[in-house]
Amino acid sequence: MTGNRLGTIWRLVAGQAAVHGAGMSAGDACAAAVAGVRVTGAWLSAGSDREGGHHLMRATDEVSRRLAELQLTLGEGPSLDAFASGGPALASDLADREAGLRWPAFAPAACQAGAAAIFAFPLAVGAIRAGVLGLYRDRPDPLTDPQLGDALLFADTATLLLLNAQADGPPVAESDRRPADFPWHRAEIDQATGMLTEQLGVNITDAFARLRAYAYANDLRLADVAGDIVARRLRLHPGPGPSPDSNA
Amino acid sequence: MDGQLLSETFVELTDTMVADFDVIDFLHLLTDRSARLLDVSAVGLLLADPRGELRVVAASSEAARLLELLQLEGDQGPCLDCFRSGLPVTSADLSADDRWPQFAVAARLAGFAAVQALPMRLRDQVVGALNLFRDAPGGFDPDDVRVGQALADVATIGLLHERSMRRRDALNEQLQSALNSRVVIEQAKGKLAERLGVDMSEAFIVLRDHARSHNRRLSEVARAFVEGTEAIINPRPRSDAV
Repeated sequence: MTGNRLGTIWRLVAGQAAVHGAGMSAGDACAAAVAGVRVTGAWLSAGSDREGGHHLMRATDEVSRRLAELQLTLGEGPSLDAFASGGPALASDLADREAGLRWPAFAPAACQAGAAAIFAFPLAVGAIRAGVLGLYRDRPDPLTDPQLGDALLFADTATLLLLNAQADGPPVAESDRRPADFPWHRAEIDQATGMLTEQLGVNITDAFARLRAYAYANDLRLADVAGDIVARRLRLHPGPGPSPDSNA
Repeated sequence: MDGQLLSETFVELTDTMVADFDVIDFLHLLTDRSARLLDVSAVGLLLADPRGELRVVAASSEAARLLELLQLEGDQGPCLDCFRSGLPVTSADLSADDRWPQFAVAARLAGFAAVQALPMRLRDQVVGALNLFRDAPGGFDPDDVRVGQALADVATIGLLHERSMRRRDALNEQLQSALNSRVVIEQAKGKLAERLGVDMSEAFIVLRDHARSHNRRLSEVARAFVEGTEAIINPRPRSDAV
């Protein structure tokens, strides 16, 4: 089910990347989400710092850019909430009472800037935080269930691309990875990532990067490497690159 | 059935209006109490993710085999059928049932012979399914099934209650946040298992006991531990650890 939708989204992002002729980036996922989720515009901020310090990687129009800036200036808004909670912040009608209570400064300012509905998605894998994907509509309109699902999958795609770029991972071309190997929703991958923080003495983001790098360098499926680590058949050892480490 | 525990459970499950309501803790309460109240071996709960799949959110034990089995149900099994139809699905003897061959094999490996899936449903909205497992073949006690469904219904109303009726956005926010918290809990289990030299099931118990004894949310403790701002010591140093 998900595999097919994810495949479709992966191709939309690859199509966006083909426009500028470079490898796929999180910005491409942001740009492709506009048509994919049927919103007016989108922005993507990158950063793992809880206190802010995010930088705007991409904004598809002036309103999106303004929405991202307003939140930094005012210190409130859906991006900040999504980043803090690990779940999306969804406001189908920025002019309603709920939105006004939630973001007393941001909601009216965003309406004035031209947004009427706003949806922010954390770029996160559990405790790993990489940024936020924001979407807006110029009229009040909730995301349908399929649109919400697609928005989440665009956010998943952006997360992976962002983490790969941050880890100086190999450039991602469409053919490089099967979407079925996306690292989400397998408990063993999350458990193995947690184990690697101890084995390697690194934070959770770097542990996940090392896990993916090991799988990539050895041409193994991520889920299989994770399974070996959880079963304690494989240990990774502190050290720089993704070179294959010894088997336990 | 323990009547006292049953009434306490209903009271706790309806107490979702409190300010610090937490979906993960709430659903763990549901699976823990279902396992204790009903004549079953294990209980698991899956929630629908708008990405288009069912995802494991809580289980009465964190035994790896049970979690794998529940994870598999995203693709095949009584939970998926129950979720799609919105109706209970049961198999009194999985070895004589050819509906879900892969699931039946995984269930046997996990030590289960019979399964009952109960929908978490309010009118036309199905948010997930509760899964009851027994280690011996045979039909489920009809009283157990009735009480199990009642617990699932109360939990569903608790989840959907007001939040979705008033604001669908808020329900989706909470459910997605809970799904991400579940990932944080798995990451914390891994880190703790490696640090203490225990298996994932034991790591979960240490994590849960730490949260309970400090009166904190499980998901908060898990996040703080993964981020390195919370120390967790093993209250029961290993003697029979794996």
